Amino acid sequence: MLRRLVFAVLILASCRSDGRTVGRPAQRIVSLLPSFTELLFAIGAGDRVVGRTTWCDYPPAALDVPSVGDGMPPNVEAVAERKPDLVVLYNSGPNVIAAQQFERIGIRTVLLDLNRLEDLGPAARTLGRLTGLEQRADSLALAMDSLLHQPPPTSTPSTTLAFVVWDNPPIIIGRGSYLDQLAALAGARNVFADVAEPSAQVSLETIAARNPEWIAVLSDSAGPPAFARRREWRAVRAVREGHFLPLPGGLFGRPGPRSAEAVRQLQALLAR
Amino acid sequence: MTEPLLRLDGVTYRYRGATRDALHGVSLAIQPRCFQAVLGPNGSGKTTLVRVALGGLSPLEGRAEIDGRPAAGWARQELARIVGVVPQREDNLFPQRVRETVSLGRYAHLSLWGRERPEDHAAVDRALAACDVADLAGRWVWTLSGGEYQRVRVARALAQEPRLLVLDEPGMSLDLKHEMGLFELVRRLVDTQELGVLMITHDLNLAARFADSLLLLRDGRPVAAGAPADVLTQEIVEAVFSWPVAMQTIDDRPQMIPLRQGPRP
Amino acid sequence: MKWTVLVVAAVAALASSVVLGPATVPLSELFRSDIVWNLRVPRALLAFLVGGSLGVAGAALQALVRNPLADPFLLGLSGGAGLGAVLAIALHITGPWALPIAAFIGALAALGLVYRLGLIGGAALDPRILLLGGVAVGAFAAAITTAIVSLADAAELRNAFLWLWGGLSGASWDSVLLVALYAPVPLVVLLAASRPLDLLALGEEPAGYLGADVEAVKRRVYLAASLLTAAAVAVSGVIGFVGLVVPHIARLAWGHRHRALLPAAFLGGGALLAIADTLARTVVAPRELPVGVVTALIGVPVFTLLLRRWTVA
Repeated sequence: MLRRLVFAVLILASCRSDGRTVGRPAQRIVSLLPSFTELLFAIGAGDRVVGRTTWCDYPPAALDVPSVGDGMPPNVEAVAERKPDLVVLYNSGPNVIAAQQFERIGIRTVLLDLNRLEDLGPAARTLGRLTGLEQRADSLALAMDSLLHQPPPTSTPSTTLAFVVWDNPPIIIGRGSYLDQLAALAGARNVFADVAEPSAQVSLETIAARNPEWIAVLSDSAGPPAFARRREWRAVRAVREGHFLPLPGGLFGRPGPRSAEAVRQLQALLAR
Repeated sequence: MTEPLLRLDGVTYRYRGATRDALHGVSLAIQPRCFQAVLGPNGSGKTTLVRVALGGLSPLEGRAEIDGRPAAGWARQELARIVGVVPQREDNLFPQRVRETVSLGRYAHLSLWGRERPEDHAAVDRALAACDVADLAGRWVWTLSGGEYQRVRVARALAQEPRLLVLDEPGMSLDLKHEMGLFELVRRLVDTQELGVLMITHDLNLAARFADSLLLLRDGRPVAAGAPADVLTQEIVEAVFSWPVAMQTIDDRPQMIPLRQGPRP
Repeated sequence: MKWTVLVVAAVAALASSVVLGPATVPLSELFRSDIVWNLRVPRALLAFLVGGSLGVAGAALQALVRNPLADPFLLGLSGGAGLGAVLAIALHITGPWALPIAAFIGALAALGLVYRLGLIGGAALDPRILLLGGVAVGAFAAAITTAIVSLADAAELRNAFLWLWGGLSGASWDSVLLVALYAPVPLVVLLAASRPLDLLALGEEPAGYLGADVEAVKRRVYLAASLLTAAAVAVSGVIGFVGLVVPHIARLAWGHRHRALLPAAFLGGGALLAIADTLARTVVAPRELPVGVVTALIGVPVFTLLLRRWTVA
């Protein structure tokens, strides 16, 4: 009797949900970040994705997957309704709490960091392990890692830029963000690389004083942003001269398998 | 025959939603040098009378006139140059000195942007002196006794240089000495400054001693009006206040003394 | 004497706003610097105008509702402004002046609603209902705002809250000119109401007997203070504590006569906001703090000291 009890406890203990232990490959995955959706499709697990956020729009096949909301914060019931055996979340405070809720109802979760380009490789590899598609995942990871190590183009002269994601108050991108890395890989220097955080509020006069040659904005339209017409922004030379880099949100708004493409597009814009 | 300072002629008023008139058929006239007291039990309409008399409420029947013109037709600032009021209650949100608070009475005479002129300062000085509070001028109002504070409020009304002074229950919560002092003050102002005075009061005896004319109200209706000796009789007092009294005379004025038995039917 | 000190402090605050900043501009180049003339000077002036307006509006409101805890943002205007701004973003209304105009309209809508509520008892404006109505309308607007932000698609909405926290980043000669033309009218109306506001401290009935046209004064003061606050929110978001604390500090030295108190509150509020904005721009340079945070950090300890003074006295 006692032996059966010990045996049962041992079995139950080994069945605990743990993203790191390699159990059965995940067959029904809900992805709660556009970057993870792209990675899953890129390693060939696209047909196993049963739930995505409203923001997940690439590849086009992803649009056929039912949406479970915007994921901020995750809608636990909507996700559970998809009956996943794995939920992939971006590692943030609110998502840690959401992960605990999923675990409580017996759904396996994995929290992945994805702040800078070097996080892409490990993320791909982890997803490969969890889906049993290690080979494809590893070669994708290799490609994404090599992006990091490619030398910056020496043919283009070194130019300066600043990413402005909001105008009132002005919010710029610092070196904690992958956008900063994209800029460096494209041969441009982020004038706010001294700011450690991914983004920060700065004074307009700081932007004017640092005088970047280009102002990069996340925008799907080609024209200058609305704030370009405001009088106080015209103290910044790049605004006066109309030197804007409009970066499409879908491609630049997230790190992912297409980051190399993003670097190429940015280089092309800088060469104008 | 000059216009009376204040005249009520058959005034009737009922508050919205009330079951009975707050005032019904009330008349009175106040000439200069006349000290008019209005008395009556609680709820007899005394404060309503003041509001109608000063144009705050419009009578449903009858007329209320000040200086010959309808009371409700006076602009506030114009009225304040003729009538000075010492209301029952006022707030004391901010600490002030006596002189400052009395100076507020000059508002009615100041132009929008004008500063206080020498004649304003002089009026304040005169008001302080008349009310015997000149030596308190620099004191903070919250350090005054009840009686001193009341005299300061009268001084403020006097600083308006009015021809009519209206006081609503000024003696309430004052002790004997200060209440007597207040009535003496008012009497003196009537005699020396030719003011007319309308005073609402509870105190039958003091009203009878100091006032020239009494109006006794009950449930909004006038019960008796005229000289104190005609109004303060045993029959009338007992009927209005439902309590047995004995009458005495002091200084030729009737005084009533409540008796200790239970109420008469 | 105290006026001299105040004027000197105000000038010093303005000067420091122009001389100090996250960008290093050597003194010798101060007068030729583009940054100084196109960014710092208009920003310093706007801070002064907005801070001064909030100081005066706060003092007048405290007298009107006879409550020393009244703050211009208790009127529900900030809730309305936030809702207006968020609606503009959610409906994708763009344009350089879209946010301020939408915020101003939202503030006016809230003003109209609270005013209507204040008249609920009849023709006389009840200050207590103004206060309660302002809190209710503000809370209601804030709830709708949050709902829109959580339901709508635009990611920019999250950044709209940063704007609402208060900031003079949008300062330019355009906005300074606008405020400088707009603010004098309500300011003069409030100054003209100085004496009636003194009388109002005795109560509405006594004030009326002393000759004040109480209903007209209440209406004018409420509308003028609200219009000043609406403009302040539209141009610089919600900057708390200036309207609450500056009048109390001013009363310490100038007493309660509004003829002196209102101008002192203007200069004091202007100086305070200019200093707070300078700190916001410089203490964590190159980053910038929301100025509403700085005014709160300054205002709360000051307010605590004032409270102790009251309870001790």
